[in-house]
Amino acid sequence: MNEPHAVSLTRDGSDAMDATETQTTTTPASSPDAGRPRRGRPVPELAGLVVVLVVLVVFFAVKSPYFMGADNILNILTAIAVVGIIAVPGTMLLVAGQVDLSVGSGAAFCGVLLATQVDRIGLGGAVVLVLVAGLAIGAINGALVNVINVNSLITTLGMLAVLRGLTELMADGQTAIISGFETLGTARPLGIPLPVVVFAVVVVIGVLLMRYSVFGRSLYAIGANPVAARLVGIRTKWALFTTFVLSGFAVAIAGLILTSQLSAASPVAAQGLELTVVTAVVLGGASLSGGRGTILGTLLGLVIIGVLNNGLTLLNINSFWQDVARGVLLILAVSFDQLRQRLSPTN
Amino acid sequence: MNDADSLLRATGVRKSFGGVEVLHGVDLHLSRGETLALLGENGAGKSTLVKIIAGDYSADAGSIALRGEDVGTLDPVRARRLGIRMIFQELSDAGPLTVAENIFLGRYAARHGIVSWREMNRLAQGVLDSLEADFDASRKVESLRVGERQLVEIARALSDEAQILILDEPTAALSSAEVDKLFAAIRRLRDRGVGMVYITHRLDEVAQVADRVQVLRDGVSALDHPVADVTRSEMVTAMIGRSAQSVRRPTPPEHLSESPALCVRGLTSDGFFTGIDFDVQAGEVLALYGKVGSGTAEIAEALFGLHPTSAGSVIVEDAPYVPKSPADAVHHGIGFLPADRQRAGTMAIRPVAENLAAPSWRRMSTWGVVRRSTEATAYATWQKALAIRSRRDPMQPIGTLSGGNQQKVLLARWFERGARVLVLIEPTRGVDVGAREDIYRTLRTKAAEDGLAVLVATSDYEEVVQLADRALVIAKGQVVGALGGELVTTTALTAAAGG
Repeated sequence: MNEPHAVSLTRDGSDAMDATETQTTTTPASSPDAGRPRRGRPVPELAGLVVVLVVLVVFFAVKSPYFMGADNILNILTAIAVVGIIAVPGTMLLVAGQVDLSVGSGAAFCGVLLATQVDRIGLGGAVVLVLVAGLAIGAINGALVNVINVNSLITTLGMLAVLRGLTELMADGQTAIISGFETLGTARPLGIPLPVVVFAVVVVIGVLLMRYSVFGRSLYAIGANPVAARLVGIRTKWALFTTFVLSGFAVAIAGLILTSQLSAASPVAAQGLELTVVTAVVLGGASLSGGRGTILGTLLGLVIIGVLNNGLTLLNINSFWQDVARGVLLILAVSFDQLRQRLSPTN
Repeated sequence: MNDADSLLRATGVRKSFGGVEVLHGVDLHLSRGETLALLGENGAGKSTLVKIIAGDYSADAGSIALRGEDVGTLDPVRARRLGIRMIFQELSDAGPLTVAENIFLGRYAARHGIVSWREMNRLAQGVLDSLEADFDASRKVESLRVGERQLVEIARALSDEAQILILDEPTAALSSAEVDKLFAAIRRLRDRGVGMVYITHRLDEVAQVADRVQVLRDGVSALDHPVADVTRSEMVTAMIGRSAQSVRRPTPPEHLSESPALCVRGLTSDGFFTGIDFDVQAGEVLALYGKVGSGTAEIAEALFGLHPTSAGSVIVEDAPYVPKSPADAVHHGIGFLPADRQRAGTMAIRPVAENLAAPSWRRMSTWGVVRRSTEATAYATWQKALAIRSRRDPMQPIGTLSGGNQQKVLLARWFERGARVLVLIEPTRGVDVGAREDIYRTLRTKAAEDGLAVLVATSDYEEVVQLADRALVIAKGQVVGALGGELVTTTALTAAAGG
């Protein structure tokens, strides 16, 4: 501090005061060396997940000769691509303390919309319509949450039901077949399935946004303390609205890929997708109370879920056990995170 | 006073937090039917002492005797059973429940596990009537005004035969009519033999309700006398440890610019404040001094776009400004420090550098990208300039810093942003003495050197004396006094604010 202005108190208790001040000075000053190893940086959070992944991979590699094959690895990635594309904005929402439960029925809605409109307006027109519909769904969610101030859990739970119902009505309860739209779901440029390529692009965009952009940083701030974030001048409502719109757009892309992979759009497709998204995001270290979480963490969560499902299938284990395994994994991961937070002096 | 009348006697109470002793052996005595006013500055140890009596904290040394018998260590449940009740500044009532339910919370009038509402309402109404409260026991508590809710709290304490009542600044949020009602209730309790410890900052209340006054200063008892024998200035002297006149005023700024940095005319918000006029020059610190609830905080919030206004104009650095939203205010070069650091100030789990840099992200970024290293550099600069005590790690979560150091970071974020006008509410609430001086010094220096205009809304008169060049005294949403230069004294301030 240069040139302290004479505000100082010349009071008889000044000695005692100085003593207190030095005490507060020395305590933190002497602690860094002692304190550093104990205090958790973000790295150890993911380290636990990496260990889990390695254990799973080694286990399945030993048990099944097909597991480590290049084809199977691509299978795993393809299997998580659709969920993954939605989980990237899903992570952004959860970091900001929000959740979008309408993603599963939204994806089905987009698929059926494509299949039912393609004859009327052509493939190109139908694809554009689906993308616009995705943006609109996101905008409606975002507006309800930000303008009318309905809690996002409730808003999107309502939207989940609305969209599923509309999808059934539109499809008249039937699975609609669509031909000539296989490329997006099945093409393999350079041997890599196109859905995986799209997923990779979305992940890279997500990582860049969340790590380096003012927008991404604002989402962390909003999730950590929405009131404080607003008071530093962040346009919190605008940031949240944008994130819901991104989520809607990702849902449209995921819906298109899903439909293309199956060459059909079922009104009951993607049921429970929203829960898989939340599982992956939370597994990846995001906190339900906001302010924490990374795209790479979510990616790791997705890969673990993918490996688990794939491995159990290869070992011919009943698919219902896969649900059990995924649930157990989630509970373990979250319990572990609670323990870690309780042990670290930060919280 | 003889021992038969002795209700409570605490002797040699000591208490330390984190190695710092805040109570250095304090005695406190209370007789039947006596009201003791407990005075002291923020941090003098008042609340620690009463919390020990109420069993919230356990003392490191010393003893507590009730009616002459040593009670050993108290916990909250035992303290209640022994008839000790504390009425907090922040009401701990359950809003959606009725008055009667609140009064009998946890011990409903029930027969065979079935609550008898009629019986409960009848009993509650009886207690309320004895306090001359004019509202119905079946009303929902959230529909009552703050003063009425306070009476509910007192009725709750009364209904289970409390012997000792501790009131922590009960009038802080009350209107004067409500205060009269509260005082009447207190006198009635006194006549019944209830002993009361009454914590307050308002010296005029002492003579009105208390029989005896005790002043704590820096964890020791600095004065203990019957109210009739003490003058107001003796109390102030005991509280601040020197006579009020000898407080060193800050050196006034040497030259102020011609046009004010912040110019407020006729600012009005219905029900909160009316016709507020003032200017803050660049380089000047202006205090809005008033009790809690006087409207100072709302005026400050209005300037940052947080509180609606119905009339008036604001000019910031010669340009008209309509406070719409915080984002807009920040854009106009205004920085803001909220009263509640935890709730509205810090993003506790986020890194300290991020907390500091957040308002400046747009400016720091190229193509929407902010580098961590830019944030770290900014943090290093201000950490040094403001003597922020933390690990050298810009990634340390701000929640792990002490209150004073967190507050420094929250100020530094606006220095980094290059704000021209700072609007601060209670800037040193919950801040330890050392950091408080640092904060005052920093604000004075920044104002003088960089021509920053600083507006401080505060209910702490000593803060005004130590920090401000000028002060406006606010009461009931209006400017009731203006003090400048050597006229800014604690006596003048409290007198102008109506005590």
